[in-house]
Amino acid sequence: MSDPKQMTAPKSAKIAAGAVVCVESEIRGDVTIGARTVVHPKARIIAEAGPIIIGEGNLIEEQALIINSYPENIMPDSEGVEPKTMTIGTNNVFEVGCISQALKIGDNNVIESKADVGRNVILTGGCIIGACCQVNTCEVVPENTVVYGSGCIRRAQSEKPQPQTLQLDFLMKILPNYHHLKKTAKGSGTPLRN
Amino acid sequence: MHAESFFFCCCLWKCVCVRRRSTVASLLRRRCANCFDCPCCMHTLSTRATNIPAPLADDPTKTTMKKAYYLACGFCRWTSRDVGMADKSVASGGWQEPENPHAQRISKLIEYYQQLAHREKQERDRKKMARRRQCMPLAFSQHTIHVVEKYGLGTRLQRQRPGAPISALAGLSLKEGEDQKEITIEPAQALDEVEPLPEDCYTRPISLPEVTTLRQRLLQPDFQPAGASQLHPRHKHLLMKRSLRCRKCEHNLSKPEFNPTSIKFKIQLVAVSYIPEVRIMSIPNLRHTKESQVLLTLTNPVENVTHVTLAACEEEDPDDVNSTAKVLVPSKELVLAGKDAAAEYDELAEPQDFQDDPDIVAFRKSNKIGFFIKVIPQKEDDSDVTVTFRMRHDFRNLTAPVRPSEDGGDAAPEAIWLTHHVELRLGPLAP
Repeated sequence: MSDPKQMTAPKSAKIAAGAVVCVESEIRGDVTIGARTVVHPKARIIAEAGPIIIGEGNLIEEQALIINSYPENIMPDSEGVEPKTMTIGTNNVFEVGCISQALKIGDNNVIESKADVGRNVILTGGCIIGACCQVNTCEVVPENTVVYGSGCIRRAQSEKPQPQTLQLDFLMKILPNYHHLKKTAKGSGTPLRN
Repeated sequence: MHAESFFFCCCLWKCVCVRRRSTVASLLRRRCANCFDCPCCMHTLSTRATNIPAPLADDPTKTTMKKAYYLACGFCRWTSRDVGMADKSVASGGWQEPENPHAQRISKLIEYYQQLAHREKQERDRKKMARRRQCMPLAFSQHTIHVVEKYGLGTRLQRQRPGAPISALAGLSLKEGEDQKEITIEPAQALDEVEPLPEDCYTRPISLPEVTTLRQRLLQPDFQPAGASQLHPRHKHLLMKRSLRCRKCEHNLSKPEFNPTSIKFKIQLVAVSYIPEVRIMSIPNLRHTKESQVLLTLTNPVENVTHVTLAACEEEDPDDVNSTAKVLVPSKELVLAGKDAAAEYDELAEPQDFQDDPDIVAFRKSNKIGFFIKVIPQKEDDSDVTVTFRMRHDFRNLTAPVRPSEDGGDAAPEAIWLTHHVELRLGPLAP
């Protein structure tokens, strides 16, 4: 995973058994996906500037974009750029159309539709970034915070959001009926089709 | 001027016609009994259910899944559990609003003042009646009035002190003839000592998520909680449909349907259905001081033929504030065909021959025509090019009652010529 030659040879995705990753989703680069994670078609997980590790029980919906990209002022080929790993915890929900570039996301977070989370944000746990909210600050969002509204006002919740176990179970049963799934490759470059 | 209103809620719970008297809606302070507002973001709360294990009634050792309901906001994710409200086992109707600590005192005050107002009204009525009967002897002493009221003759006599202070009224003791029980209230007491502020009031750091905003606080004037953990949901305000009348002639202008699910109107007299509508169809690239042709359309909303004349605005026109371009409008009169609702189904309709000037009229389609105006932008700044002109058209009031004319002529109503000021915003200049 922390291969120094990563920039030259794109690695394949490592998909754990039990994860449901539709073949229409785009996964580029060194991505590890944990068990019981569901990746909808048209979701995009792009590991450009470093690997992405996604935990268990996550729900990544259509047109969500999880991208580990280069910071804007750094050219891809310049030397001395360390690949940073993007870590995503368990039971997170990335709703339709959201963009997440945060390097560190904890557990039980919800990034609602069309939200935009910047690279320097660290979501701890139980955070909810509301629909269409852009969080581009350089900060650690405390636990159980809800960001909502056009002015991105915040409030503290008393408990973390519920994990979407029912939804995950349903999707894991239904999606394979309608989509081909990606399986993890055993050492080769291209993912095997189901 | 609003005449009457119908109340209903987003859940279409109740549609109450309120004219002047109080009804159920006003008793509930015009709030819905079922729906709640989020105290945090004022959106409507929805009821959600979870399954919780609960011990069976028969056998306390076994647990079964029971449904528990709580209120949650879809926008800010506030839940009723945030303020400590326990989950209810009933889907609706289980939620109670917290009691106002001053409710008793307030209701007592209200009752007292209601009684007072009632008494003053009675006094005034007595005065009015007594003035009419001048032969009636007037009793001056309070004692006489007591005696008279005791024996049931009190309504005819009156006290000859129109400026009687309220304390005198309150001094009347209870009589059996009186229906109401007199209510006494204790006057509010002013305290010398006020509770001092806590010592760390100025030094303690504020935790912003725990403090309520002014708006959240003032939406609950009975409690005005300072802490977010005391924000309880309030019942939702009822929405209302209003009907409007003309100020001058009291004619009904707009009257919505009574049914809350219907958005139609019983009576809707709006200007849009009588005045020809001007729309912008296409705008070429507009350049400073260069003449360009803009294509506009005129649509006739009424069923008879309408004649429209356009004229440029005068120099000193008071309405002409925003115009940033010179405009040359066609000087000839434009004729609009009537709106024919069956035109699309009638294939054999003869096209009416209007002999349009092709320089002015671009096209004609049933009750619509497209025509050109020439625009010369005068200002070079970034604001939108605005063009104004006056439109004069004939209007026939078909809703007015037709008076039969003396010579038995046709019953067509007279045409009134109306002039309107039209302002069009054509967008920025081409780069």
